[in-house]
Amino acid sequence: MKIKLSFRLNGESITLATEPLKRLLDLLRDQLELTGTKEGCGEGECGACAVLIDDRLMNACLVPAAVLEGKNIITIEGYRTTAQFKILKSCFEKAGAVQCGFCTPGMLLAAEALLRQKPKPTAEEVRAGLAGNLCRCTGYNMIVEAVLLAAKEGEGLWSTPVGL
Amino acid sequence: MVNACRPLSLEEALVMRSREATTVFAGGSDLMVRYRQWSGVTPDFSGTVLFVGHLPELQRLDREKDTWKIGAACTITQILQAQGIPDHLKLPLLSMASPSIRNVATLGGNICNASPAGDTLPMLYALDARLTLQSRDNARTVAIADFITGPGKTILAADEILTEITIPPGDWPRVYYKKAGTRRANSISKVTFYAVARFDGDRIADIRMAFGAAAPTVVRNPAAEALLQNIDKNQVPAWLETLTTHYADALRPIDDLRSTGKYRQQTALRILAHFLRRELA
Amino acid sequence: MRNISEAIKRFDFDEKIEGRAQYAADLKDRQMLYVKTLRSEKARAKIMSIKYPPLSPGYFIVDYRDIPGENRLPLVFEDQPFLAVDRVNYIGEPILLVVGPVKKKILAIMQEIRVDYQELTPILNIAEARQRQEDFIFEGKSCFVEYEYEKGDITEVKKKAWRVVEDEFRTGYQEQAYLETQAIVAAVEDQRITVCGSIQCPYYIKEALRQALGWPEERIRVKQLPTGGGFGGKEEFPSLVAVHAALAALKAHKPVQLVYDRQEDISCSTKRHPAVIRLKSYLDDRQRITGREIEVMTDAGAYAGLSSVVLQRMIFSVGGVYNIENLKIRGQAYATNNVVSGAFRGFGGPQAFFAMEMHMENIARALHMEALALKRGYFLRKGDTSTTGGKLQSDIKLAEIVEKIDKISGYSRKRRDYDAADGGFRGIGCSVFFHGCGFTGSGEQEIIKPKVRLRKYRDNTVQICVSSSEIGQGCLTTLRKIVAQVLEIPVEQVQYDYPDSDICPDSGPTVASRTVMIVGKLLYDCARKVKARWQEGEFTVDQAYVYPGHLQWDNEHFRGNAYPEYSWGANVVEVAVDPLTYEVKVLGTWAVYDIGTPIDEKIVKGQIDGGMAQGLGYGCLEVLESHGGRLRQNNFTNYAIPTAVDFPATESGLIDNPYEYGPFGARGLGELSLVGAAPALAAAVQQAIGRRVRQIPLTPEYIMELMDDED
Repeated sequence: MKIKLSFRLNGESITLATEPLKRLLDLLRDQLELTGTKEGCGEGECGACAVLIDDRLMNACLVPAAVLEGKNIITIEGYRTTAQFKILKSCFEKAGAVQCGFCTPGMLLAAEALLRQKPKPTAEEVRAGLAGNLCRCTGYNMIVEAVLLAAKEGEGLWSTPVGL
Repeated sequence: MVNACRPLSLEEALVMRSREATTVFAGGSDLMVRYRQWSGVTPDFSGTVLFVGHLPELQRLDREKDTWKIGAACTITQILQAQGIPDHLKLPLLSMASPSIRNVATLGGNICNASPAGDTLPMLYALDARLTLQSRDNARTVAIADFITGPGKTILAADEILTEITIPPGDWPRVYYKKAGTRRANSISKVTFYAVARFDGDRIADIRMAFGAAAPTVVRNPAAEALLQNIDKNQVPAWLETLTTHYADALRPIDDLRSTGKYRQQTALRILAHFLRRELA
Repeated sequence: MRNISEAIKRFDFDEKIEGRAQYAADLKDRQMLYVKTLRSEKARAKIMSIKYPPLSPGYFIVDYRDIPGENRLPLVFEDQPFLAVDRVNYIGEPILLVVGPVKKKILAIMQEIRVDYQELTPILNIAEARQRQEDFIFEGKSCFVEYEYEKGDITEVKKKAWRVVEDEFRTGYQEQAYLETQAIVAAVEDQRITVCGSIQCPYYIKEALRQALGWPEERIRVKQLPTGGGFGGKEEFPSLVAVHAALAALKAHKPVQLVYDRQEDISCSTKRHPAVIRLKSYLDDRQRITGREIEVMTDAGAYAGLSSVVLQRMIFSVGGVYNIENLKIRGQAYATNNVVSGAFRGFGGPQAFFAMEMHMENIARALHMEALALKRGYFLRKGDTSTTGGKLQSDIKLAEIVEKIDKISGYSRKRRDYDAADGGFRGIGCSVFFHGCGFTGSGEQEIIKPKVRLRKYRDNTVQICVSSSEIGQGCLTTLRKIVAQVLEIPVEQVQYDYPDSDICPDSGPTVASRTVMIVGKLLYDCARKVKARWQEGEFTVDQAYVYPGHLQWDNEHFRGNAYPEYSWGANVVEVAVDPLTYEVKVLGTWAVYDIGTPIDEKIVKGQIDGGMAQGLGYGCLEVLESHGGRLRQNNFTNYAIPTAVDFPATESGLIDNPYEYGPFGARGLGELSLVGAAPALAAAVQQAIGRRVRQIPLTPEYIMELMDDED
């Protein structure tokens, strides 16, 4: 059984036919060939597949296609065109927050969701906001530093829409 | 062959439910894992999946006088962000799962899962939450303690949907919650304890205590709570032994891959003792 | 000229942060088929028969009969088949592969395959292996290997001993838990096979393919793709995955993708060895430690894998950073019907240092001394000999290291305070440790024979050709920096891509903390030759490893320099134990290292922080148990690796002590940063609870047992 589905993806309207229970993760990676969203566990535990759906952070492995009707989805492929990304990228570079890179796209979207909620977070709030995104390389410290730095350097930016 | 139905109203959902065997899908944070297959293969639900997460009738989240009415499909995040939501409702939710899971997991889902380790359950038991179960032709209200009958088991009938959770009024100046998990965030509970109390001067006017992950269902012991009723809070330690005995018999924790029955039992009782000795007084 | 330690932007940064990096699972091809592995459900059994269902066109089953070459994984011992023939030795052992275009159909085929087993009595742990008298797994004996070596005269020491302090410690499994699971893509074209994927050691895979296919080298190409973490888990294990993918591609005549699910990955890939370590220290009438006897036992699992080499590193590390004249050290790697144990960052070091550092804690307590004060009295110094009698030829700045860590952490003061506040459930611990850099013994010379190549082009760019893989640790950046610095050219002028065996000579595997120190030094030397010929236009220079004249090693008797060089460090961990739940809360972590010259301070910090978290996870969070040969925790829900909230930031420092034979004075780092975390944590917990800690991980359940035992 396939259903017809319309939603916004990275600023563009999309209509497609798919199985209702197909995971958004598979939809993105297999059907739409957007492979920036990674699969680390398939169980919602690692956050490598985190995307934004209506501004909320969700794991694409837990979201079936059927619930996407009318939603606004942002993946790393869209997010990387935004002003917010530019700041986070520069701060991730300054802090040295990327190693193997597999958690990075999900981590960035978690950082975006967090900064949108708390534009001036404490270190503790940053950690809590990233708690669903596993990283095995960095021990998180440099990622936390990067997000704190982004809050400072991008002040004001997280109260404006991402523009997608 | 998997069918899926995304009704536009609760009524439509209930009609669907009355006609065939369906799996009710609210947030999906549990179901999508339970039925997952290989990456790239659509999860293997059998029968018809009935999506209800989007239904406005299940999204209510408001206070009528001092009674909280929470739609079953409200996500944990929605509840945490609701205007005026009291601390005693927030506390267990804050340490539940991770931000991205809290954004999809629903209160109704956590209840219907009926996991002994369900993080919202001790709170709901302690607060005497009532559940509205609706079918096409009927609606009934049951206490949460009567709703969950065992691990993964509830009295929800095949044609019913849990629509609303009602939290009776209660002003709880003392709230205590302790969770032991596999790590500090995004972890499954090994044992949890939730308690609320209200005082009349130094006397305990009302007290509720509930244990999670320590038995097939949440453990609450009204008889033990009654013992503390009207007791001066400074006298509580004297009752510790009696209470410990009460609860020690009721706790029936298991060994599993996350912890041991012995740890769960002892930790639950240690937390109880700490609460009565230090947190209550 | 720029200071080489100054951090620069990583060369893999942009493509990773933008989500453009193409990992193996990201490669899409209309032609591509998928592969799923059918695995043993039994810990030990004979395969009596396998019933295959009829297959639709386009679907294939690959089993051992499809292996044109030898069905033996080429490692130290060739005991492990690529695909089981008539028996299985662990749950998860690969038996056959199902290949086809539609994943759902592949699963349906898997469901229909019937394997008929005749179960045999399995050996499920070290104790059972030691008791077993017959029906062994490996060559009629209970161990894959058994080692013993001595220094000085332990018999004499025992005779004169006034006091003996004894301990036994246990350590558990640890899963690497790289975020990207095992993943390989393979394709056959023009009589050649190309295998790409998530790997640490391209040439290990090339050798495995050569053996499995029976093809000459020229027909085999191995390329690394961006790799989502390795930690040793992509050292030897991917050889198995790569051969499977190659066999599938060969049979189907189409490109194939073989990507593990997380559960599959945790259930059947290699793990850190569980170990039992017994230590006995002999003290004389002046309370001086005069000798030790140490015995190390590991659970190697069902096949030998790298267990012999891991055991060697364990017995060469277990003496710790102390100069004790008389030693007898033994080790056994037991064959069991558990999942195969293998390489994991630290490679035997974490178990060894946990045991030795806790043993020193206990000796100090017995002597009513502070542990660090006791340790200082025995620190190795330049000119001393190691446990294997090799002369230590570089400056060893352990005293400076512990002085610095004491200063930044407040260790001594807190240690005293927590001792005084008995029952406060707080503690602080300090570990002191080393990691041998490069292959054990003369392995660099005898086994690896690394070779690097630089190609200089007319436009004055220089290409690095090495097989060193970027697994997150930053070698695409650090090795470029080394070459650019020698050539005095901008680092952007140096090219270095993920290794491709068609282009790169075998500079050895990306393991053993050898990439910067060994490969980097070869590139350093090579670059100097390039520099001398800079005006020549386009040319190529190769540089091969030469075993340094100041080292010597007797591999039969384990005498001499067990490692080309060592890196040194100390960790301090401060904890509070929750008196209700017995959960360990880490309050602070500190680290000071002597890694010679840091090649890039940011990359170095990344290694320090990441190693600390992984080591603390090993010490208190990561529970992985085998029951009946099956790992109970097989997903990220139940196998709990640290999240961002579990541990606080690490405060770290470096000691300036350039290494004469390293590139710009650099030593190894990658593994060192994991080794000392668990022992420092365990010492802190021991102080906090006032009970003897005898095993890791320090779960609340274990701490409760300790509290109950001695109450």
